[in-house]
Amino acid sequence: MSETKTDAAQELAPPRLRGGRRPRARHARSAPYWFMLPAMALFTGFLLVPIIYATWLSLRASRRTGGGILGQRIETFVGLENYSRALSHPELYASLGRMLVYGLLVVPAMLGLALLFALMLDLPRVRMRSATRIGIFLPYAVPGVIASLLWGFLYLPRVSPIRRTFDAVGLAPPDFFGPTSIFFSVANIAVWGGVGFNMIVMYTALRAIPTELYDAARIDGCNDWQVAWRIKIPLLQPALVMTGIFSMIATLQVFTEPQTLSPLTNVISSSWMPLQKIYTDAFVLNDIYSAAATSIALAGVSLILSLIVLTVMQRRAFGENK
Amino acid sequence: MSDTLTTATAAPKTGRAVRHRGIHRTHWGATGILILGALYCVLPALWVFIASTKSPGELFTTFSFWPSFTGGLQGNVDGLLAFGDQAFLRWALNTLLYAGLGSVLTVIISASAGYALAKYRFTGRELLFRIILAGVLVPQVTLAIPQYLLLAKVGLTGTYWSVLLPSLISPFSIYLCRIYAMAAIPDELLEAGRIDGAGESRLFRSVALPLMLPGLITVLLLQFVAIWNNFLLPFIMLSDSDKYPLTVGLYALLNQGASQPALYTLVITGAMLSILPLIALFLLLQRYWRLDLLSGGLKG
Amino acid sequence: MHRRLASTMVGALIVTTALAACTSSNDGDTPSDGDSTPAGGTTGEQVDLQFWTWTTNIEDVIAIWNDEHPDIQVTVDRQAQGDELITRVLTAAQAGNEPCLVHTEYQALPVLVANGVVADITADFAGIRDAFPDGAWGLTSFGDQVFAIPQDIAPMMLFYREDLFAQYGLEVPTTWDEFAALAAEVRQKAEPDQYLTTFSSGDPGWFAGLSQQAGAEWWTSEGEAWRVGINDEATTALADYWGNLVSQGLIDDQPMYTPEWNAAMNDGTLLAWPTAVWGAGVLEGVAPDTAGLWRAVPMPQWSAGENVTGYWGGSGTAITADCEYREQAVEFVTWLNTSPEALEALVTISGVYPAATAGQTGPALEQPPVMLPNQPDFYTQASEIAGTARGFTWGPNVNVAYNTYRDAFQAAIEGGTPFSGAINTMQDTTVADLQTQGYEVID
Repeated sequence: MSETKTDAAQELAPPRLRGGRRPRARHARSAPYWFMLPAMALFTGFLLVPIIYATWLSLRASRRTGGGILGQRIETFVGLENYSRALSHPELYASLGRMLVYGLLVVPAMLGLALLFALMLDLPRVRMRSATRIGIFLPYAVPGVIASLLWGFLYLPRVSPIRRTFDAVGLAPPDFFGPTSIFFSVANIAVWGGVGFNMIVMYTALRAIPTELYDAARIDGCNDWQVAWRIKIPLLQPALVMTGIFSMIATLQVFTEPQTLSPLTNVISSSWMPLQKIYTDAFVLNDIYSAAATSIALAGVSLILSLIVLTVMQRRAFGENK
Repeated sequence: MSDTLTTATAAPKTGRAVRHRGIHRTHWGATGILILGALYCVLPALWVFIASTKSPGELFTTFSFWPSFTGGLQGNVDGLLAFGDQAFLRWALNTLLYAGLGSVLTVIISASAGYALAKYRFTGRELLFRIILAGVLVPQVTLAIPQYLLLAKVGLTGTYWSVLLPSLISPFSIYLCRIYAMAAIPDELLEAGRIDGAGESRLFRSVALPLMLPGLITVLLLQFVAIWNNFLLPFIMLSDSDKYPLTVGLYALLNQGASQPALYTLVITGAMLSILPLIALFLLLQRYWRLDLLSGGLKG
Repeated sequence: MHRRLASTMVGALIVTTALAACTSSNDGDTPSDGDSTPAGGTTGEQVDLQFWTWTTNIEDVIAIWNDEHPDIQVTVDRQAQGDELITRVLTAAQAGNEPCLVHTEYQALPVLVANGVVADITADFAGIRDAFPDGAWGLTSFGDQVFAIPQDIAPMMLFYREDLFAQYGLEVPTTWDEFAALAAEVRQKAEPDQYLTTFSSGDPGWFAGLSQQAGAEWWTSEGEAWRVGINDEATTALADYWGNLVSQGLIDDQPMYTPEWNAAMNDGTLLAWPTAVWGAGVLEGVAPDTAGLWRAVPMPQWSAGENVTGYWGGSGTAITADCEYREQAVEFVTWLNTSPEALEALVTISGVYPAATAGQTGPALEQPPVMLPNQPDFYTQASEIAGTARGFTWGPNVNVAYNTYRDAFQAAIEGGTPFSGAINTMQDTTVADLQTQGYEVID
């Protein structure tokens, strides 16, 4: 580093107001890059390079060339063939449609419930605040695979306590694995797992609202409902946007829940959601090339969608307006 | 519910009078909603605990919510711990290693990057930040095989590093650190430090990090839980079951093949044992879950 | 100062890389793990062979070998099973990391062969050909080339609940027509939620075994081209047979191996189970309380007086093409799959039904399985049934066909459409995939 000696000299010299600015600028210019280095190195190595490699893979395929009845499989360049096959498969669009339905169920339900619980926690004179808060946060401790398995047990009629409870009361139990109810069943697992975390996010944001605002509102005669509607929810906008964005990203990547439930029922195929199709291509059909092509296509769509949403919401979400 | 609310406040307009009278009256509507929510969240998890008390024969024949007192729990725990030559203990220790070491390293890396993004103005800052954030858009399923193949070229697959290193890049953590650094570290303090002649890394260590500490603990806890519960990455990278974390180990118990039944009782017992430490973590470290970071620096 | 910062960063990177190197060499996880580095440090002293397998408790079986052969040590790596293991083997082979010995299901072997992962071992194992029945040997050869040695076979048989049959006055079916009539009888006489058995959309291997019994040939090779016959007469008739039973509500339609199915097997909701010889082991894990209530008989036949059955799965041991210690691997595989002590160990310790003829009648098989103490001659019967079993040739894309089976039959069950439609979907998808992959397909 050629700047070393100059830096040392500047450190020892008495500070000069005017000249002092320039050595500070020189320190500052490369320091942030050094701070960023480990993160950028890891990012490049484990995100960028694999993405580039996946893109390269998406242009290739394993094809049989001569050599006996079973042939020899060689990896060859196939151009955009993988993309055209993936994008012309109606199943892909069907899965995208299902993902949309799933998202429309999950995001409002999860955020709505989280908001409701957060508002309830923030009200005065509420009992058992601590216990219920921990209780609602509990599913965060359960990994996705286990959560899906345990809900699978709760959904399957013969082993389900839900069904036994309905039987005891004399009502017909709901069929959790029907062609439409399956969306609710899968969405429920995601909501169950995520509502606690989102609730805490919103609750801590609520706690940060200065109480003077409430006093002023009360003096004006607002009841609790109006306080919530007129003051709390608007001030929660950043939190709502943040949790909304992360919920949408999670929806785009839904995989664990349907994949774990698939063997238990006849209504979830191996490509029910887009990421399941990618997994099936890569790990069941041993065709990482098609999987790569579908992934890149999907990632492109996600990226465009997210950029749109982020640009629109940027100022509210990132608090960059000082 | 609105009735309860209006009755509670159907008092003279003086705010203070309402609050004093109301202090001894519980808001049952809200409490009820919260209790229902807590039940919805806790009961399924409770099922795991109850089901782990059942022996294989009982699991599918008895009522799900009544625990078995015939020593099923002991049998399951014994069976689980003995399985595969104490594989479960190894898995638990592996998970502790991945989550513990991984979260500490992530915090260091993210704090460093977040601090730089927050407190310095440099070319490409916003672009880098957006690129890092875009990283959350790429699902692990897509990255899995390319990551595996690339790591194989440097001979790192199947090692502890193959699971640790990819876990260290967490765009979410960097985002949180940036937000917290912006909110918690006054520029004047850094300027004063520079005037006094402190170097940049010294500033980071002595000024920034202590101020960021509460936020860093939150990041640590979040990343700890995320790595603890991670499944797909170790599933792809690891071939030696000695290095499996709990998630992959339990999944392997489920998928033994067409001619082997799934070891449901062992999986459920294992799941129960692996959830317990996280619950303890939540309970003991409640006050460190400062998730107000996520609302985007509202307090500023 | 950023100089110190820089040096800290660089130092951290160096330490990380160094630790990585240390870790890899300490754990012995360098590529071709265990295949090349002898433990003693000098070549020829001791050979380490890695064996990727999933057979239950096979470590104990291999321990016998390791004790007797200190110069050839075999280590078991149990990381996945069935199709998942194939994917890992393929990925590992791409990275140069594959083990010497691979446990593979018969239908997955063509994929390994086509990718050049397993070695042609025709010459190495010419001597042990006679240790195996024809049906079994055919499962690992293509033309005259042998690519794996059969380890276990799984001839299909019918397990039924003897007590429940007695309770409802039901007769054991010997033909599929009788089976259909029996299914209707069960729906009449038994509880409303009881069925004779279930049709599983999740087990293509099961359906393949039934097709084999019906005389189907899903893949045939002619010269260098393939002919796909998934929708041939036999399979279509089979599919429609089960389709009719399901649509009339005479047979249940839930997938197997779910908690729901486990509970149904436990409480007698399903009275019978067409399965393979290893079904007794599964029942032990799934429904241990029903021990002694089951009996096994040969599968119902399509024509009275016939005596054929199919295979549900089964697997063998293959040696990888890049294995450096071919000789030692051959020695081990010969021992594992033909020697009396290994076969006995496989039966008693791993619960496997050996493919080798000698293994089907050893002393280990004189006791009936735990779940069928009421049938002391179980294994004798099994051996007879094994002699009547036939498989078919597996083509290069069985995984595609199997995956389509799951999706197509799920859709047929849910939509109430004929099962022969699902078979046609399987046929079309399999043919299209073969053509995409570059194989020649003839009609």
